Amino acid sequence: MEINKLERYWLMAVGITLGAFVAATIVAVTVFGIRLPAPVERIDPQRLDQTIFANPGVRKIADNRYEAVIVARSWAFDAGPEAGNPAVLRFPRGSQVTFYVTSKDVMHGFQIEKHTLNLELVPGQVARATANFNRPGTYHIVCNHYCGAGHQVMYGTIVVE
Amino acid sequence: MASITYPQSAEAPATPGTLKLVQRERAMIGAHIITALIALLFGIFMGPFQTFHRSPTFVQYFPTIPVFTFYYQAVTVHGVMNALFFTTFFIVGFCYFVTERSLQRPIKSVPMGWAAFASMALGLVLMLFTILTSPQQSAVLYTFYPPMIAPALFYIGLVLLALGSWLASANIFLTYRDWKREHRNERVPLAVFAILVNFIVWCVATVGVALEIVFMLLPASLGILKVTDPQLARTLFWFFGHPLVYFWLLPAYVSWYTMLPRQAGGKLFSEPLARVAFVMFLLFAVPVGVHHQFSDPGISASSKGVQTLLTLVVSIPSFMTAFNVGAALENAARNRGAKTLFDWPFKQKWNDPVVAAQLAGMLLFVAGGFSGLINASAQLNATIHNTSWVPAHFHQTLGGAVMLTYIGILYWLLPAIRGRALFSKRAALAQVFTWLIGMTLFGLAMGEAGLQGVPRRALTSQAPYLTPAGAFWMDVTAISGVILLISSILLFVNVIGTLFFSRQPMPEGEVPIETVSGDRSSPLWLERWGIWLGVIGVLLLIAYGPVVAEVLDFQEGWNIMRFIPTSNAPMP
Ligand code: HEM
Ligand SMILES: [Cu+2]
Ligand SMILES: [Cu+2]
Repeated sequence: MEINKLERYWLMAVGITLGAFVAATIVAVTVFGIRLPAPVERIDPQRLDQTIFANPGVRKIADNRYEAVIVARSWAFDAGPEAGNPAVLRFPRGSQVTFYVTSKDVMHGFQIEKHTLNLELVPGQVARATANFNRPGTYHIVCNHYCGAGHQVMYGTIVVE
Repeated sequence: MASITYPQSAEAPATPGTLKLVQRERAMIGAHIITALIALLFGIFMGPFQTFHRSPTFVQYFPTIPVFTFYYQAVTVHGVMNALFFTTFFIVGFCYFVTERSLQRPIKSVPMGWAAFASMALGLVLMLFTILTSPQQSAVLYTFYPPMIAPALFYIGLVLLALGSWLASANIFLTYRDWKREHRNERVPLAVFAILVNFIVWCVATVGVALEIVFMLLPASLGILKVTDPQLARTLFWFFGHPLVYFWLLPAYVSWYTMLPRQAGGKLFSEPLARVAFVMFLLFAVPVGVHHQFSDPGISASSKGVQTLLTLVVSIPSFMTAFNVGAALENAARNRGAKTLFDWPFKQKWNDPVVAAQLAGMLLFVAGGFSGLINASAQLNATIHNTSWVPAHFHQTLGGAVMLTYIGILYWLLPAIRGRALFSKRAALAQVFTWLIGMTLFGLAMGEAGLQGVPRRALTSQAPYLTPAGAFWMDVTAISGVILLISSILLFVNVIGTLFFSRQPMPEGEVPIETVSGDRSSPLWLERWGIWLGVIGVLLLIAYGPVVAEVLDFQEGWNIMRFIPTSNAPMP
């Protein structure tokens, strides 16, 4: 099979572009430490009271380091009584927060505005991700996975002080 | 040259290349295309009203927007009718026609063709009935993820659609086998080569969703199963969901590669490379579905990585297409007197709706292709996953390139089916350009909103978290909705006008379909389908083996307790 010269150049250009994409991905993972969600644990969404999700809320684990345990349900994020409903979470600037989130009923989503934190909440699976809050401000947590008639009112707020 | 063998000579067209359809063709092709348009009629008009419902300003000034009251019912109708039913009917009808004319023989079995049609049509009726009569429970959208469970008829409708499409695939495969027996050492015409690729991809891909529906969702809906596994269901769905995209796209490529060059007045640049591109689609269309699940908790980062790389590979044949088709269009323009490096895009038949629609589709595809590469790279994906960026992307590809190409096909195929001229060429041109402008604006506004964190599939006008920037872009989207509403009306004016009111006889013309067998320089081994199926099997094992093991959590041992209860779509 013959390949025309011009077309060969074109294919090389395509190859180089895609190679750059691959390289960028490798750099993102190795240098910037960007990570995708990966399996943490499986749980029974009907027996959350036997898991860490029995008491949702924010815990300080070290200086500037927090753990936030959140249960999503139709149509609210439950982050404990202190956070209220719709939940409001407060962190001092410069905090690093690890979120543990799961869903108790249907699929939900968990996205923090202006951060690359974006999780699918699959019932039966624990989703975990870490975010750094360096800029003061108010950021919404949005349920971005359709979860029924009240989907559009399902949200929370993070206040970085 | 293929010898002209039209076995049922009484039904053969007077000259094989003529656009006049014989009665058998008119009935079969017409039934599919017109049913496709009925599905589209339900689906398409939801779109603009969705943009109105999502816009805070629009809702403020027009508190009662007509057409629907429950937003998520509308989105379900829009997705299911446009993406599943319209496309499948259109593709099957169009591919029958191209196969028959290209191989110069009727499809293998006309009764089987009608059985397939009946199955799909019954599926359509049941689906519409369910969504319209139980709007709340069946608002599970066209992805129907459990544990939300819709009424059983919803799934039965889908099963009937799939069954019919499998029968249709078998019909096309058998037609090809018969042709091949008589033409051992010839290359099948390029258009049919692509169609075979398309239906093989479809048959492999639908296995995933069929397993999901038959063993998980339908029993759950009937109350036989009380539990489900959403992570497994999502994985099976996207095993199907990504190749579905190619099932839509490849028929458009059939038109771009084998019809558009002739319609535009040029010649295809390289037929062998076109075949290589289609083989790449065949191999890499399926083992990439996990790129829709980058944010899922149940799949490891390494499995996601593997499928990211494969996704980049599957962009190569589209780049090859851009070159090959681009060169054909340049050739067409040179024939029309284009001289310089940059004037050839303008020296096209922009005043011919058939050509203009496809060219406009290509323009949107370029934008869609680049936003797609961004989706595909796992990290950038975290910014836009499930935001309105995603509909922005696939309205440039599916709603733009694919849809406009189907419309371009419709503008010659519908007159042929009816036997009358297109009702209004001016309306058709206006439709094409309003669609191009509307979708460009839609893509910009929804894309920008997505970067601001505005979610997709949400009644954003009621969302307490909508930021001023997000609200602004939703309002702009509504403006694009107005333009697209006008365009959709123009489309159906022409459809109804051509079917019922056109008085002009159909202009004499040729089918834009290649009837000679393929270029001798194309290697014959490209038609060794058994080998390709084997390669697909190996790729699937590599790409999906680990994913399935992770999702089912084999390391921990099989444990039915992990399966979780189903629930109905929550009521307001
Ligand atoms: C008249 C032009 C159209 C407009 C204004 C329009 C508008 C929209 C909007 C606003 C959404 C997002 C809904 C949401 O996420 O809340 C959407 C979703 C969608 N559209 Fe369109 N659309 C149009 C045409 C089409 C066409 C022609 C197709 C396919 C053939 C299509 C396929 C889809 C699909 C598959 C979805 C996803 C539904 C879902 O998320 O469940 N659209 N459309
Ligand atoms: Cu939700
Ligand atoms: Cu995909």
